[in-house]
Amino acid sequence: MNKMLPLSEVPRSSDPGIGYTSKSRRSFLISVVNSGIVLGFMRSGRSAPASSTGDQAEAGPADLFEPTIWYSIDKTGLVVVNITRAEMGQHVGTALARIVADELEADWADVRIIQVDSDPKWGLMVTGGSWSVWQSFHTLSQAGAAGRIALIEEGAKLLGVDPKACIARDSDVRAGHASIAYRDIVARGDLRRHYTPEQLAEMPIKPATERRLIGQQALAIDVPPKTNGEARYGLDAMVDGMIYGRPKIPPTRNDSSVVSVDDSMAKGVSGYVRSLVLDDPSGTAPGWVMVCADSFVGANRAADLVKVEWRSGEAATVSEQGFQDHAARLIANPQGGSLVVDDPGVDAAFAAAKSTLERTYTTNSVMHFQLEPINALAFEKDGVFEIHTGNQWQSLILPVLAKALGRDQNTIVLRSYLLGGGFGRRLNGDYAVPAALAAKVLGRPLKMVCTRPDDMRFDSPRSPSVQVVRMAFGEGGKVTAMDHHAAAGWPTAVMAPAFMSKGTNGAPYDQFAINGADHWYTVGAQRVRALSNDLANRCFRPGWLRSVGPGWTNWAVESFMDEAAHAAAVDPVTFRMRLLDGAGRNAGSAPNAVGGARRQAEVLRRVAVAAGWGNVLQESTGLGIATTFGQERDMPTWVACAARVHVDRSNGAVTVQKLNLVVDAGTVVHPDGALAQVEGAALWGLSMALHEGSEFVKGQPRDTNLDTYTPLRMGDVPEVEVEFVPSTEVPVGLGEPGTTVVGPAIGNAIFAATGARVRHLPIRPEAVFRAINART
Amino acid sequence: MTTLLLNGKTVSIKGPDDSPLLWTIRDEIGLKGTKYGCGIGMCGACTVHVNGRPARSCITTVRSVAGAAVTTIEGLDPAGQHSVQKAWIELQVPQCGYCQSGQIMQAAALLADYPDPTDQDINAVMAGNLCRCMAYIRIRNAIKLAATRMRKDTSQK
Amino acid sequence: MLSGAGYCAVCHTRAGGEPFAGGYGLATPFGTIYSTNITPDPATGIGNWSEAAFARAMHEGVARDGSHLFPAFPYDHFTKVSDDDVKAVYAYIMTRPPVSTSPPPNTIPFPLNIRIFQEGWKLLFFRSGRYQPDTTKTAEWNRGAYLAEGLSHCGGCHTPRNTLGAEKVHDAYAGDMVDGWVAPTLTDSNPSPVPWTQGELFSYLRSGASPLHGVSGGPMAPVIHTGLAAVPDADIQAQAVYFADIDQAAVRGSAVEAVVRSRLATSHLGSGQEYDPAARLYAGACIGCHYNAGPMPLTVRPELALNSALTLPTPANFIRVVLGGLSLQDGGPGLVMPAYASAFTDADVARLAAYLRRTRTDRPPWADVDKQVAAIREQLAGSR
Repeated sequence: MNKMLPLSEVPRSSDPGIGYTSKSRRSFLISVVNSGIVLGFMRSGRSAPASSTGDQAEAGPADLFEPTIWYSIDKTGLVVVNITRAEMGQHVGTALARIVADELEADWADVRIIQVDSDPKWGLMVTGGSWSVWQSFHTLSQAGAAGRIALIEEGAKLLGVDPKACIARDSDVRAGHASIAYRDIVARGDLRRHYTPEQLAEMPIKPATERRLIGQQALAIDVPPKTNGEARYGLDAMVDGMIYGRPKIPPTRNDSSVVSVDDSMAKGVSGYVRSLVLDDPSGTAPGWVMVCADSFVGANRAADLVKVEWRSGEAATVSEQGFQDHAARLIANPQGGSLVVDDPGVDAAFAAAKSTLERTYTTNSVMHFQLEPINALAFEKDGVFEIHTGNQWQSLILPVLAKALGRDQNTIVLRSYLLGGGFGRRLNGDYAVPAALAAKVLGRPLKMVCTRPDDMRFDSPRSPSVQVVRMAFGEGGKVTAMDHHAAAGWPTAVMAPAFMSKGTNGAPYDQFAINGADHWYTVGAQRVRALSNDLANRCFRPGWLRSVGPGWTNWAVESFMDEAAHAAAVDPVTFRMRLLDGAGRNAGSAPNAVGGARRQAEVLRRVAVAAGWGNVLQESTGLGIATTFGQERDMPTWVACAARVHVDRSNGAVTVQKLNLVVDAGTVVHPDGALAQVEGAALWGLSMALHEGSEFVKGQPRDTNLDTYTPLRMGDVPEVEVEFVPSTEVPVGLGEPGTTVVGPAIGNAIFAATGARVRHLPIRPEAVFRAINART
Repeated sequence: MTTLLLNGKTVSIKGPDDSPLLWTIRDEIGLKGTKYGCGIGMCGACTVHVNGRPARSCITTVRSVAGAAVTTIEGLDPAGQHSVQKAWIELQVPQCGYCQSGQIMQAAALLADYPDPTDQDINAVMAGNLCRCMAYIRIRNAIKLAATRMRKDTSQK
Repeated sequence: MLSGAGYCAVCHTRAGGEPFAGGYGLATPFGTIYSTNITPDPATGIGNWSEAAFARAMHEGVARDGSHLFPAFPYDHFTKVSDDDVKAVYAYIMTRPPVSTSPPPNTIPFPLNIRIFQEGWKLLFFRSGRYQPDTTKTAEWNRGAYLAEGLSHCGGCHTPRNTLGAEKVHDAYAGDMVDGWVAPTLTDSNPSPVPWTQGELFSYLRSGASPLHGVSGGPMAPVIHTGLAAVPDADIQAQAVYFADIDQAAVRGSAVEAVVRSRLATSHLGSGQEYDPAARLYAGACIGCHYNAGPMPLTVRPELALNSALTLPTPANFIRVVLGGLSLQDGGPGLVMPAYASAFTDADVARLAAYLRRTRTDRPPWADVDKQVAAIREQLAGSR
């Protein structure tokens, strides 16, 4: 491959014909894959999603080299990589395929990807936590290496040379002037090798200096079909004989039951079939009524006319403030919760402090509003229940579906589609359940399509949160202790309790809801207490939303660090740099967190330089800074952000002029994809900070569509500048970390511009205006 | 029965003429590139061209466009090589891609009205097209790139 | 053509019905009057009417059986139509395909429904007589006036009526409500930001759209697209000359460029970093089609800062267009605006109206917008 070509000059991977000399069966495969991305069940002739031996109708065992489950090479040299991660805009297939292809020494033009369906052989199928590349990097590198070694061995045999004299490059095995193409090795050689996971785990991988694809520019495989209407999402799934369903969503998420259904008015709607009260043994969709018709338009109109009376419980009386008040009460009680960090001497340090600072930070509910409303097509065929939908966590919803349908999990398969936005909404695959239940009752394929308001009312929003943060200062303003209490709804407690961690006091906690509070600042004795907002957990289903907990913990930590710096009369960047000293547990460790807090200090230093920290700005204009380690201490992505804002003092309106971000994500596999993720994440952060946020009103989200829910649009976008720190360390996550620094950077910038402090997300002009006037 | 000139071909619509054009295009005609996002004309994912003007097909009835020329993303260019589409690939605009059919249709219409759009023109004309992945930076850049190419093509003709 | 100029079919065709077969309900303050079948069907239409009987109806408002016609049939205008033109209309009508159908009974209450009462109305308000040219004006102006006052009967909608339903002759073209729509004043007191010049009028009457005023909608849409569509350019131009004069466009026209420039400077509002929820609603739903970069607005991008719907004294037209949309048959050539009735709540439409009135005009706020939205929505739902 060429090095460092600008994107525009890189051959399009989807371009059929690049580097090909022979046609034959390839033409079939090309016609299937030339739109770039293949969905598992649509494929044919490749080892299969349904079993590891696969459908060999077109390619016998000798025609296909398949050293691991992760990819295969055929006699035409085409490398097909199996992608188990959901494609929701991260171009994850491109990144993962390039990891394989790099070690395999494959010609990138020969590489295709398949989004596979759910099958136990893939192990845990989840696309979240910014984990995909981090979790897959070694496995796929070793799988690629195994193939390369086998091809070299077999190629050497065919060339009649010593394997040690051979190298692999661009899908060729070469020995001096002699060479043989992979396709010929597959066609002529004996490649009946298959590696066990144990063997693969021993496989050495190349040093970073030998990488030829990783870190180089490439066009994403999934992009072209997303420009011409060919890309297929869950909404596009169809099967013969299907009818449509639109639900009547009950007044509350968990505690509603149907009292009566009156569909007399709906009977006049053309194509109306019937309305089903769903009986859900899994408890996923209690109180649902599915209104069925032969078209979506019919189902939609009929649903508007079907009258349902429900009985609801406590949740129908609870609103946003109720959740916040409950969270505040939980924090006020020193008992309860889980101790995530619990150093000795915290209380003593506060007792002995020269001064202390305590602040409370709050955040409102946030909706996912992934653009493709939730939907699912379900039907039974040949003893298998098929669910066609976009999903981020197949392994989580399969057992739920098994319970709902009363059948073995192995007889249910989730077919893969592109996701019209994930952002964590589709980690929770709850929407598959009512579609499956309705299809089971109907005995025919049922495609459920939620309208946007249905989708919003069935969302699992980011929970409202309350946090109290305290700091103790000793002699000379030295930070001697920090105490952080956070209360919020816990998605993992509700949906995947087995995944929860345990605190030092033995109490389980949702690490995804508290990550971030266990930061890398050296603050003396530290305590982090996570509290589950049980009222929130009961009244709605808290969701994982892009970054989850750090969305609120970083708001508190980074706003508080700014406040602490000002309280200590130290420059906020200097204050943080001093605490990011890499001492003790913040030194970091191999393989994931090499360098520890010092790498965080470096991104902070770089962003301060890039943004012109310390420069004099115009009146009512300020620069604010914030930094994070991303999602988890065990997978730190070091990020810092500087926001420059102007505040209109007459009304509190904030104009964001520029965002600077610096990211150290270790090795970056697909640089342009990484940049896109950081751009998108930063703007998500901006949108949540200033334009989103909603609230519950009597058990229901207040905003159910774009007339009142007002996410970021084109004109809201400021100048954005992103810098990656060059690195060959372990590649870590990129989808989320850029999200959480923007809010606190803006809050801190508002303070820098006006001296007014805001402590609630989202930041509304009225709040800024009030804060400005409270000062004067 | 309502007829439309859809992507250059005359089609007769059998379904009710008070149906939203979106669902007729998707489910009766079977072109899935046009997407459903909000259903109230505020996300732009369903944007098609009606007589060359961008229209939100989710709230536009078939009846109201009877006899009109309707163009979807599949018909914008026979080979998917409209300057806007090419710029979209070159600058790697789409992330999840769900909004992009609508973004591209809107952008193509923008450039027809304003061949050399300013940032303000882009902000305004693209304001109704939500991109939840927030690919806005690239959308803007790709519009400008396509505009440059299209002006060059025009001046060479 | 002349039938087109008088757009007989607009009133004498019900929605989805055969042309000229009647049954269209005209809501008046006195009740609903249904138009009659004017196809040449002998039993239910006017097949048995002689040319003289037809001319008497047109000129005197008297039916073939001698009864007085309701002035919903604008014989107060048609009396000005020349004998030759009436003959031509008769010839045209009588060669249309006959349709056998009768309209529903009118809902005019007693005693107004007694046709003899119409005689008194006539005595009070009707002046019979052909159009008399104004010799101080050009021939073109007179041609326009003849058409407008006579066959086109523009005043039928645009001149306010007194409590007995007669046009107030001293308030000619001062505007009125028609079918719940504002028929704006056509004189120089009309509130559009720039005057109706001959060019603007011609563009509007010819195509349904003018760059500096907007597009047609409501009852005016079929006037343009069904009625005037058959009228030659010269006669449209003549009426444009006539109404430009009534609007005093020549006197008021000097500041047009400056007004357009200042109005267009507001065109982008809402599309920047913006927190006003109403502005964000406008940006998300409307600005993509309505924004104009300047220096002049594009006709295909109706510029709301110049649009008559926003400067009228009531928001009725604005609300009706937002809720009901504009089909290909309504507005400018090839243009469609979707109906937001299923998309927006009453509150959404009301705050959009208030926002645009505040940011795009120099007029005082409209009162009770939310109530008007609810009322119009109910009416539209009922008429479906």
